[in-house]
Order: sequence, then C-alpha cells, then structure tokens
Amino acid sequence: MLIHIEDVFVAYGSPPRAVLAGINLEIEEGEFVCVLGQTGCGKSTLLRLILGSEHPMRGRILVDGREHHQPDRTRGYVPQKYSLFPDKTVLDNITFGCEVSEFGLFARLTPAFYRRRKQLRAEAFDYLQRIGLRSCDAKKYPDQLSGGMQQRVAIAQALMTKPRILLMDEAFSALDPGTRRGMQQLVRDLWKATGTTILFVTHNTDEALRLGTRVIVLAKESVDQGSRIAMDLSVPAPCGDEEIPSLVRRLELVSESCAL
Amino acid sequence: MSVGFLLIHARPQRAWSAILSWFLFAAGLAAYLWVAQARHRENPEDRVTPTLAQMATGMYNAVMQPAEEDEAAPPAANFYDRLSHSMLWRDTRATSRRFLLSLALLIPAVLLGLHMGLFPYVGVFFLRFVLFFDKIVALSLLPILFIAFGIDELSKIMLIVIGVTPTIILDSFNLTRGVPPEQIVKAFTLGAGDFDVAYRVVLKQVAPRVLNSIRLNLKAVMLFLFAGEMIASTDGLAYRIALLRRHMGMDVIIPYVLWVALLLFLVDFAMRTVNRKLHPWFHEA
Ligand SMILES: Nc1ncnc2c1ncn2[C@@H]1O[C@H](COP(=O)(O)OP(=O)(O)OP(=O)(O)O)[C@@H](O)[C@H]1O
Ligand SMILES: [Mg+2]
Repeated sequence: MLIHIEDVFVAYGSPPRAVLAGINLEIEEGEFVCVLGQTGCGKSTLLRLILGSEHPMRGRILVDGREHHQPDRTRGYVPQKYSLFPDKTVLDNITFGCEVSEFGLFARLTPAFYRRRKQLRAEAFDYLQRIGLRSCDAKKYPDQLSGGMQQRVAIAQALMTKPRILLMDEAFSALDPGTRRGMQQLVRDLWKATGTTILFVTHNTDEALRLGTRVIVLAKESVDQGSRIAMDLSVPAPCGDEEIPSLVRRLELVSESCAL
Repeated sequence: MSVGFLLIHARPQRAWSAILSWFLFAAGLAAYLWVAQARHRENPEDRVTPTLAQMATGMYNAVMQPAEEDEAAPPAANFYDRLSHSMLWRDTRATSRRFLLSLALLIPAVLLGLHMGLFPYVGVFFLRFVLFFDKIVALSLLPILFIAFGIDELSKIMLIVIGVTPTIILDSFNLTRGVPPEQIVKAFTLGAGDFDVAYRVVLKQVAPRVLNSIRLNLKAVMLFLFAGEMIASTDGLAYRIALLRRHMGMDVIIPYVLWVALLLFLVDFAMRTVNRKLHPWFHEA
C-alpha cells in the first residue's frame, strides 16, 4: 500500500465548514488515479494533504507507511497555478529540481556542478522536445509563455526529478484538444515506462477514463457536509470508444446528484 | 490636439509630452529669476535671492577652494589637487560615506525580513518588537543617541538605522509573505531544502521588489542623515548648508540643495538600472 488515507476530515474558516469528511482511500504502487468532482469540492485540498503541506484535522495519511509533515522529493507536484518560478528561464525551471537536490548552496561553486549542469540541460532539452516546445523557448521566462506552454513546462519540471508519486492538479486544463491528446499520450507513456504512481485531478470525465486505471469521484451529499468519495471505479484497460459515453454519463450523474 | 484633451483616452503627441513635462521647470526658473531681479533692483545688496551669476561664483569657489576652516592647498597645486581639497568634494565625500554605510546596513534588515516571513519561529520572535520599533519617531531619539553614542559618526549611523530599518524589515517580511505558497511547496517537492527555498526561490523572487522598496526609502535615509549632520557634525553637505544659513549664504545653499537632489537622483537611477539588468524577468507595475 503506497498511500493510505484513513477517515480524513478537513474544515476551513470560522465557523469551520467541512470540505472533506470521512475520506478513506488506498492507493497501490503504480496506479494511475484520476480524481473528478465539481469545482470547490476539495480535490486540490486532497492533493495538498498527500503532499504534507496541509494536515487533516482528524484521521491520518500514510505515504509509504508513515506520516509526512512536509513536502519532499518523493511526491512531485504540478499545482493548479503559480507552478513555475517566475525568475528562472524555462530551462532553469526544468533543471532546478535536479540542481537543487544534488548540489547545496555552496557546492554550486565547484566545477563538478557545471559538468553536471551540462548533462541536465541536455536532458531538459529532450523533455522540451517531448512536451512540444521549441528550443528557442528555452531561454524565455514563464510570463513570456502562453498558459498552455507554462502547464507543459511545469509537467516537465516535475518529471525531471523522477518522483515516486506524482500529483497533478488540472495539468491539462489550458490545452487545446490536439495538444491535450499529445500530453495524455506522453504522461501515459512515462507512467508505463517508470511505474510512477499518479494522482491526476481533472474536470474532464472523458480524459479521466482514457488516462487512468482508476477513477474516483469526490462529491458532497448536502451543502453543509464535507465531500466524500462518491464513486470509485477501476478501469483495468483503457476504455474503448463505445463504452465511454455511457460511463461519462454515469460518473457525471454521481458527481451532480450528490451535490443536490 | 484632438477632442480627447484632458480625458482618459487622450494620447498626447511626443512633442507635446516633452514640452508639457518640462513646463513647470521652466516656469519655476522664470519665476525665480523674475523675483531675484526685482529684489536686486530695489536693494543691490540683497542676499536672499542671489542671481545666477552670484550662484555661479559661489559654486566655483565651493568647487575650487577649500573650506574656510581648512588650510589652503599649496598655491601651485594643479586642478585635481585643488578639486580634492575643495569644500564641495570634502562635504560630498563625508556625506556619501555615511550614506553608503547606512545602505550596507540595510542588507541585514532585508535578510531578517526574509527569515521572519519564512520561518515561523523567527517571525514570532521579532515581529511584535519590530512593529513596536517602527512606531518610534526616530528623530525623537536623537538626543538619547547623542548622549549614548556621543556626537561622532556612530550616533548618526544609528539614527538612520533606527529610522529606516524597521520599514525595510517589515516590507521584506510582507513581500516574502506575498510569495504564493504553491511556489514553496513546489520547491520542496523538487528536492530543495529550507535554505535553498529561502535563498534560491524566495529571495530571488522578492529581490527586485525589495530593491524598489529601498529606492523609495532613499529619501528617508537622506532625511535622517541630514538631520544628524545639521545638528552635530564637522563636515558633510547638510553641515555646510546649516553653517551657511548663519551667513545667509544663499548663493551656495541653493546650488548645494540642487547638488544633493542630483546625487540622490543618480543613486536612484543607478539602482533602477541595476535592478533592470539583474532581473530581466521583472516587470515594474
Ligand atoms: N486556505 C483556505 N482557506 C479557506 N477555505 C479554503 C482554503 N482552501 C480551500 N478552501 C475551501 O475549500 C474548498 C475546496 O477547495 P479546493 O481548492 O480543494 O477545491 P477544488 O476541488 O480543487 O476546486 P477546483 O476544481 O475549482 O480547483 C473550497 O470551497 C474553498 O473555498
Ligand atoms: Mg483545485
């Protein structure tokens, strides 16, 4: 069991309003879990809990058998917004993870650092190509990129450090259908090649069914209750085109009817 | 000039912009000259509004001759020797030294603010005290400082430190707090440690804004420096201005005031240029 979530409860604000209530979830190593749910139902909160940047008010979260109190290198993260460092170029953003985890503040002054950086840059260029950016984009700063390009760079940045668990929050939301399909393929291929466990938050039911090996739906039963897992569907093989429409309808019905 | 004159959508032409932006300078100068001329017609000995020629002579003497209390340079000295012994140069050097020293002391203030914003224990330890300290009117401490540190350099530097550092600390603290938490979480997930996050992620991101905040506070630094120099000093630009006031030396005071403004403008301009060069990704709001 890689991720073990046990009766987790989270509330925000004063007076506290429940966001997540009674979440129980077990995720095995190597699963590709897509998380669906209406906006504001607590999907991002769930990811932050697994990262360890927030803590549940009740219940506990074990990753690899123990509780984590702060984010670290085992759990990669592609946040919904502010995902790139604005002061670094695209290339430096992508190599930042490896540089920072291999070299301390002062080890950067040694020649070994520059040799290693050359390798890392070559690797980053490789990723740049795979996410469909041109090499002339490498020297740009994040706010010179379009929203979709930023999302793709953020994914490359998280992939570079090869985390065991990858948490992606609406990572494809700003992509056009064509690019989106390309990125889906890329993520799916990398997942197959590396065996990374992926949690993928999305609003696109169709995408969830095509990507994941498992789809979970978060939904509230009533307005003042926290969300819980309303449906947990395992998708052993990628869905064929004929089954998708009916499954999409079923999932969306669950997500919506619970909210009423 | 089209229909949109004075409205939001107006687009002044380049020539018009240039003329309008210099207009108040020209008007100020003209008004001064007019008043000066009128006063000199009434009383040729007038000392309140020196003419341009008088100011030029006063300034020439300030640039070329040592202050009265110093011994003169050897008569055969060349231009540069005379310049380096001159009153203006000595005053400027003394003031700049104190000014740069105080600017250097702002660096620890920035780092303290950064750590207060990032490390909760540092934050709770210092925040309340700095907030309190910020409310003390630094000039009211002046007598205490003179008593405690004597009337030499230390008390003047301390005045600047006490007057300006709380603002800089609080400003860097707020800027640090303004960095989106996602950025910090992301850095940790990429394998950064606490100090990598502090210096390689957060400090680099807030640096241009902190520099801008220091630029805004240059005026305050100068204000406290001048207060210290005017009250207790034996050299410096403000000391000279205060001294010349006793002789009604307006022919030197006015050029000195403009010289100080020019120096401050140049420092600010240099910092802005450096900021642009160092942080090409930063767009000033
Ligand atoms: N720091 C916070 N303080 C107060 N309330 C919060 C905070 N973070 C989240 N919330 C609340 O928790 C709820 C869930 O937020 P969350 O960001 O997890 O939603 P989400 O499912 O990711 O939505 P979306 O699909 O729009 O991204 C929201 O109602 C939000 O108002
Ligand atoms: Mg969200």
